[in-house]
Amino acid sequence: MKAPRKKKSGGNIYLPFPGRVEKIFKKTGDVNLYRVQMTKPVSYSPGQFFMVSLWGVGEVPISIASLQERKDTIEFCIRKAGFVTGAIHSLKEGETLWLRGPYGNGFSTDSVLGRDVVVVAGGIGIVPLRPIIQWFIKKRTDVKSVTLLYGSRTPDDVVFTDEVEEWRKGGIKVVVTVDRGRSGWTGNVGLVTTLWHEARINYKESVAFICGPEIMIRAAMQDLFFFGMPDESIVTTLEAHMKCGIGKCGHCYASEKYVCTDGPVFTFKEIKEFALLEGYNT
Amino acid sequence: MKNSWILDKNHLSYWLRQLRKDRELIGPLRRYNHDIVFRTVEEIHEIALDCPASLPSPKEFLFPQYERMLRAGDLSSGRRVQDLRTERPRVIFGVRACDVSAVMLLDRFFLDNSKDPYYDSRRRNTLFVSVVCNNPDPTCFCAGLQTGPYLERGFDIQLTDLGDRYFVQADSREGIRTISATGFLFNRPKKSDYDDQYEVFLSAKAHFQKIISLDGPRQAILLGRVHDEFWQGVTDRCFECGGCVYECPLCTCFTVTDRSYEDGTERIRLWDTCLFKGFTRMAGGVLPNENRILRTKRWYYHKLIHYPDLLGSFGCVGCGRCTITCPGKIDMATIATKIKGLSLNGDLG
Repeated sequence: MKAPRKKKSGGNIYLPFPGRVEKIFKKTGDVNLYRVQMTKPVSYSPGQFFMVSLWGVGEVPISIASLQERKDTIEFCIRKAGFVTGAIHSLKEGETLWLRGPYGNGFSTDSVLGRDVVVVAGGIGIVPLRPIIQWFIKKRTDVKSVTLLYGSRTPDDVVFTDEVEEWRKGGIKVVVTVDRGRSGWTGNVGLVTTLWHEARINYKESVAFICGPEIMIRAAMQDLFFFGMPDESIVTTLEAHMKCGIGKCGHCYASEKYVCTDGPVFTFKEIKEFALLEGYNT
Repeated sequence: MKNSWILDKNHLSYWLRQLRKDRELIGPLRRYNHDIVFRTVEEIHEIALDCPASLPSPKEFLFPQYERMLRAGDLSSGRRVQDLRTERPRVIFGVRACDVSAVMLLDRFFLDNSKDPYYDSRRRNTLFVSVVCNNPDPTCFCAGLQTGPYLERGFDIQLTDLGDRYFVQADSREGIRTISATGFLFNRPKKSDYDDQYEVFLSAKAHFQKIISLDGPRQAILLGRVHDEFWQGVTDRCFECGGCVYECPLCTCFTVTDRSYEDGTERIRLWDTCLFKGFTRMAGGVLPNENRILRTKRWYYHKLIHYPDLLGSFGCVGCGRCTITCPGKIDMATIATKIKGLSLNGDLG
C-alpha cells in the first residue's frame, strides 16, 4: 500500500514577529507611546489593530496609533490597564515586542471627501483616531473641515497634549475638555457631548468618527442621530477581548459580527442592526 | 453509484491493519466503565462499533482541548520561535454520520476566510471512515436535520453494515485513493447489495425516537415569539458548567495563554466557552456579557440563528451529546421542543 504523503500546511497566522521598541514616550501617568521598529515591512491603515505579545505573559489586541510613514515603523499607545499591558509598561527601549497583524477593517476614507468631519474622542479612545487625524492633516484639502472634540478625565490625562498644537497647525480645529479641571485650567470642563456647537457644521451632511468609553460612544451616536446625521455617516470603533484576531476564538463575537474581522470599525447602522452595544438589544 | 464496493466482514481487520501501517488508527473503544471513547487502537478486535455514541465528540482530534501552538526558546539563545503544528497522518475509524457532518461545517468555519493553521494541518492529515448508524441512540435526532444517520456526500469513506459484509462508499479523493490502495479487498456491489443498503437506510431512519426540526424554533425566535421570560427560565436552569460546549462537535471557542518552563515558553490554546462569565472580560475589568441571560441566549442564538446565516447550516447536527451531559435539562433537543410547544399552544411567553 502506498504511504499517504504527509501533507504540509502553509504559513502560520499565529506566528508573531519581533519588533524593537525604538523609543518610549511617557504620555500621562499610565499611558506610554511606543515607537516600534518592525523586523519586516508591514503595511497597515488607520483603524486597524495588531495582536501584541510578550512571551510568558500573553497576547492582546492593540490599536495602531500612527499613520504609516515608513514601512517598518509603527506606534502603539498603551494604557496600563491589565496584566499584559502592565508588563509592556515595564519594557525598556531596545527591548522586544512580538507582533502579528494588522487585523480588522480600518476606517474607510472614501466617505469623507469634500465633507465636514467631526472627530469625537474620549480618554484613551483618542488612540485609534490619531492615525486618521494625521491622515486628515496630510490630506487636508480633501475634506472641507475637521473638528476634533477631545474629552479626558483631568488635564493630566490628556494623552496627546503635546500634539494638539501640531494638529491645530495642520488645519484641525481642536476643542479639549476635561471632566474635572484643576487650578490654572482655563479650558472647557464637561462632557465632550456639550461641545457640538463648536464644530459649526451642518451635521446632516457631515461624517463623524467616534471612540471612547462605551457610554460616551452611545451618547455621542444618539446626539448625532438626533441632529439628523445619517446612520452610515456615524462611525465608531469598538474594543473587545480577543485571542486570535481572525474570527476563530469567539471572544469578540456579538450577534453575527466578529469585532476583529467585521470591525473594529462599525457604523451606527450596523451597531443598531446587530445590537453591537448594550441598549441596542433586539 | 460510482465509487461503491463490498467489503467482506472477515477482511475488515486485515484492511484496518493495512491502514494502520502508515497512519495512527483511532477508533471507538469501550472503557471498563462502558464509556465509549475515541482513542488510538492497539488491538483491532477492541473497536466497539455496536454501541452508543462516544461521549466526547471526535472534534478533539482536529481541535484538541489542549493544543501547543508555538514555543519560544531561552532568551539567551536569541528566542527562536518554533511552530508546534503536527503533521501526523491519522485515520479515525467508526465515527458517526453526524460527526462527519459536523466536521464538514468545522472545515468551513476554520478554513474559509482566514485559515486556522492548526486545524488545517490536522485536517489535511486525517481520514474519516464513518459507519452508518443502523441503531441510533434514544438521544439522537440527526434524522430530522439531514445530518445522519447516513450521508449522501461529503464523507471520506462510509461503511454500511449489511450483516456479513460492509457496503463501502468513498466520496473524497483521499477516500477513493485509500480504497484503491488495497483494491483487492473490495468487490463491485451487486444489485442486491444496493437493495440491502437502501433497506438499512430506511430501517435506520425508522428507529429514531426523536424527530426534531430546528426550522420551527428558528422561525419562532426570528419572529420575536420567544420572549425573555422563556430565556430567563432557561438561564435559571443553566449551571454554567460548559459541559454542552465541550461535548458539542460544533462549539469552537478557545482561549490562548502562555506557559513558561525552565527552558522556554509555550503558547497554548484551550477550549473555552461563551457561557463563562469571564469570557468577554477586557483589561481593566469591563465585562460586556455580565448579564447571564445574554450569555445563555448567545449559545442558542449562535446555533439556531447565526450559524445558518453565516454558514448555511444549523450549528447543531443532532448528536444528542448535550442531552446526555446537561444537568439542567436545557439541551438543544429539549429547548427546541419547548419552543415548538410554545408556538403550538399560542403561549409565547
